[in-house]
Amino acid sequence: MSADTAAIPAGVVIENLRKSYGDNEVLKGISVTVDPGEVVCLIGASGSGKSTLLRCVNRLEDPNSGRIRVGEFEVTHPDVNLDAMRRKIGMVFQQFNLFPHLSVLENCTITPRRVLNQDRAEAETEALHQLQLVGLEDLADRRPAQLSGGQQQRVAIARALTMKPSLMLFDEPTSALDPETVGDVLAIMRDLAQAGMTMIVVTHEMGFAREVADRVVFMDQGKVVEEGAAEQVIGAPTAPRTQDFLRRVLNPLGE
Amino acid sequence: MALSNRDRARLSLGLQAGIFIAVVAVLIAIIDWGAVQSSFFDLENISGMFPEVITVGLWNTIRYTFFGFLFGLIGGTLLALMRIASFPVYRWVAAVYIEFFRGIPAILVFIALGFGASLAFNLNLSTLQTASTALAIVGSAYIAETIRAGLQAVPKGQMEAARALGMPAWRAMVTIQIPQAFRIVLPPLTNEAILLTKDSSLIFVVGMAGSAAELTKIGRDGILQYGAGMTPLVVAGVCYLLITVPLSMLARRMEERSPGKSSRRRPKKKATESPVTAGVK
Repeated sequence: MSADTAAIPAGVVIENLRKSYGDNEVLKGISVTVDPGEVVCLIGASGSGKSTLLRCVNRLEDPNSGRIRVGEFEVTHPDVNLDAMRRKIGMVFQQFNLFPHLSVLENCTITPRRVLNQDRAEAETEALHQLQLVGLEDLADRRPAQLSGGQQQRVAIARALTMKPSLMLFDEPTSALDPETVGDVLAIMRDLAQAGMTMIVVTHEMGFAREVADRVVFMDQGKVVEEGAAEQVIGAPTAPRTQDFLRRVLNPLGE
Repeated sequence: MALSNRDRARLSLGLQAGIFIAVVAVLIAIIDWGAVQSSFFDLENISGMFPEVITVGLWNTIRYTFFGFLFGLIGGTLLALMRIASFPVYRWVAAVYIEFFRGIPAILVFIALGFGASLAFNLNLSTLQTASTALAIVGSAYIAETIRAGLQAVPKGQMEAARALGMPAWRAMVTIQIPQAFRIVLPPLTNEAILLTKDSSLIFVVGMAGSAAELTKIGRDGILQYGAGMTPLVVAGVCYLLITVPLSMLARRMEERSPGKSSRRRPKKKATESPVTAGVK
């Protein structure tokens, strides 16, 4: 049964990526490599370009130049089949973006049914399986508006996983959550990482980055300033800008 | 002496009631109620209009409006999609159409279609076809703007989430954006149906056979038939209310339980930049 054939994790290669909005260059030649099964956290201040970089990986934003490859897909190639490529790249948004007119279960089945042409029973079996993994199968009949933020974000993760992605992108997945629900979402992401998923995570959760990430990339003003093992970048940063950023984040009162 | 708030409120209420009673008393005194009744509420005329006012007039008004609204909805949706299309020619064509037909009186469309269709296109339209086409032409222009606003009111993240899952653009539009937009525009669309109901009366300028007569035509014929009294128009007017009042009640109810109300609540803005700051605040 297809429900058990997990997708093979894909690697990501980003080479010299540039992106401008008018005169404002937000990505100034970014090169990052993510190995299959690796978890990379992108950290940096607001406006450093980390979300834009993430959104270029599934072409929600079109870069001006440079090259991205995800597994077998030449993402930046003009002839790439965008829809086929995106089916292999799951994305989780800061604002969840669940479909409010559909139930939790339908949120998870609509794309497999309408795009992959799965029949209802097959799609629902897989969706309930994914909802069970995030602990929400009991809420399958609810509408998103009836769920807490943390629950909605867990559904969003389950929804992405029903497509059997080879890569998961997380765009500040806990930034819009009440503090007490952050932990549930991070725990699911940790489980996913341990299951071998390739993940790129834009986050401000330094604890998560430290515990789960294989590597951390620090960006500032559209450039990669420092990258390396999480322990090294967060625990013993070498670049002055990284040191400054982490000092502000970890000790905001400056004592 | 200073009045308490409660006394002041009571005084205000008493004043309002006093003025009301005085106005009603004056009206009763100066109006010739016998003349009013024979002009507008002649019972013999009223009973003479049944059952045709319902079986022919009301029925035809509903039919003309229904088909006019239906085709106006289809046309309006297409125009709305053209208004936001990436191909610029579609946008221009839709914009010109909408500006044109919103800007001219609906009665011009009825006249042009009623007398011009046979000349220009060699078409012999029935009254139903003429009325519903004219209503659809005018209605689609208004409906297009309503639906466009609805489509643009759906948060951008919805389309992004659908595309990120791998839905083609048309599929995301049909499955995600249009259903949500329709929920948003259902109340204003109901108001559009009310306006079209009333505009269906304009078919009288074209003229029609007795069996195709709608409410306004029945009312006018009634005046000719019964002489000077305006009673048939009052009956026709009440019949319009039989359509429009339930529609506006429906619109109000849908507004109250609009699905957006609970889900429109925005997720909190970045609550915390880091878990460390949360504890300090």
